[in-house]
Amino acid sequence: MIQEFYEKINGNYEVALSRMQNDERIKKYLNFFLMDESYKQLADAMELNNCEEAFKGAHTLKGVCQNMAFTALSTVVEQITEELRAKEFEKAKETFPIVTKEYQKVIDAIHEII
Amino acid sequence: MEKRDTLLIVDDVMINREMLKDIFEDGEYKILEAANGEEAIELLDAHQKEIALVFLDLVMPKKNGLEVMHHMSLNNMINIIPVIMITGEATVESDVKAYELGAADIIYKPFEPAVVTRRAKNIIELYEHRISIENELELRTQELFESKRQIEQSNIFLINALSSVVEFRSLESGEHIQRVKKYTEIMLRHWRALYGGEQFTDEQIELMVNASALHDIGKIAIPDNILLKPGRLTDEEYAEMKKHTIYGCQMLEKFKQEENEFYRYCYDICRYHHERYDGKGYPDGLVGDDIPIWAQVVSIVDVYDALINERVYKPPFSIDETYRMIHDGECGTFSPKLLKCFDDAREDLVSANTKQ
Repeated sequence: MIQEFYEKINGNYEVALSRMQNDERIKKYLNFFLMDESYKQLADAMELNNCEEAFKGAHTLKGVCQNMAFTALSTVVEQITEELRAKEFEKAKETFPIVTKEYQKVIDAIHEII
Repeated sequence: MEKRDTLLIVDDVMINREMLKDIFEDGEYKILEAANGEEAIELLDAHQKEIALVFLDLVMPKKNGLEVMHHMSLNNMINIIPVIMITGEATVESDVKAYELGAADIIYKPFEPAVVTRRAKNIIELYEHRISIENELELRTQELFESKRQIEQSNIFLINALSSVVEFRSLESGEHIQRVKKYTEIMLRHWRALYGGEQFTDEQIELMVNASALHDIGKIAIPDNILLKPGRLTDEEYAEMKKHTIYGCQMLEKFKQEENEFYRYCYDICRYHHERYDGKGYPDGLVGDDIPIWAQVVSIVDVYDALINERVYKPPFSIDETYRMIHDGECGTFSPKLLKCFDDAREDLVSANTKQ
């Protein structure tokens, strides 16, 4: 079940398992992921054109996604983090919808299994 | 010392804290968590004796990781409690910065449990080891100080014992040597205060004072019939008596181990405490400041003590009379500088004597 979830969102199940030991625990973290507010921080700051706050949100989200081995989401979040770090806000604006799409995909998939 | 058994995990992202917690789930360590710098500082202050290691995120609300490290530096925790910086990406600048601030190590997200536990263990052991070595060193240093103090005490005891041999034989007042020591110290301190250019350190003064106790040690080589003769000495006898300065040096030379400062003061004082500033003293007829100042000092206080106290051949003289006789050159010649110092020290010399 968890393995299927990872396949659906283009994540890396093996890495996640080695890191979190078992499916039960991965599930616990998927729950935590739903509560994590870094995506909201990123989205709010993008709305307000606040590059600095957006960077903080993206940076945190990136760390979380890497820990969770959400490979696809992690890749786009990494991209927007670097764009925001370099203060290339216009580029980040173009990247953000892709981030949102991937993020939503993960959220939906989590809701399906818990 | 209590073993440190607690890990402090500081990260504003709950998932990150949970992952670190799970990595250390085996129960070897108690876990404390902080979601921002302020909480971290509160926990550090409250548990600084228990915390073995801090995992510290850099970017956090309400005081960031740098401020936490700064607090640890200010409160002397940074050298005792290791900090592992948690960072999202490896850049040379941020790594260098973390180490500069006193981080013991850096780990990157995502966390690899095996790496994190190994690193944490290594660093905790490293700090424990270092702290125990430092404690050990501190202990050894204290022991060293203590044994140095004991050696100094036994040295003083031996010097006093040795010098009292002479007093014992010559039937002189048993306190003469203690007084000479006291006067020598007073004179040297006044000398130092008066003539700043020729400073002696406290340690040097202590050595000179101890050396002064041995000034007449050569008298044990003088035969009884001369040393203890109640009447006036013949010229021949007086010539022999004068040799106590040489005998003293010969004795010292026999057990001289190597050239050192204390030996030099002992030697100079034994040999030259009957020299005169005008060159008419004995045994070498040294003139002026060729006579070492420590020998000059012992010379004048030896005369001073002989004058103010009773001897078989004379009554005690008053302080005024003693000062007059010394100034008028009736009991040897001394340098103007030394006489000035002698005047300067008068009050202290007199009160040292009455205290006995």
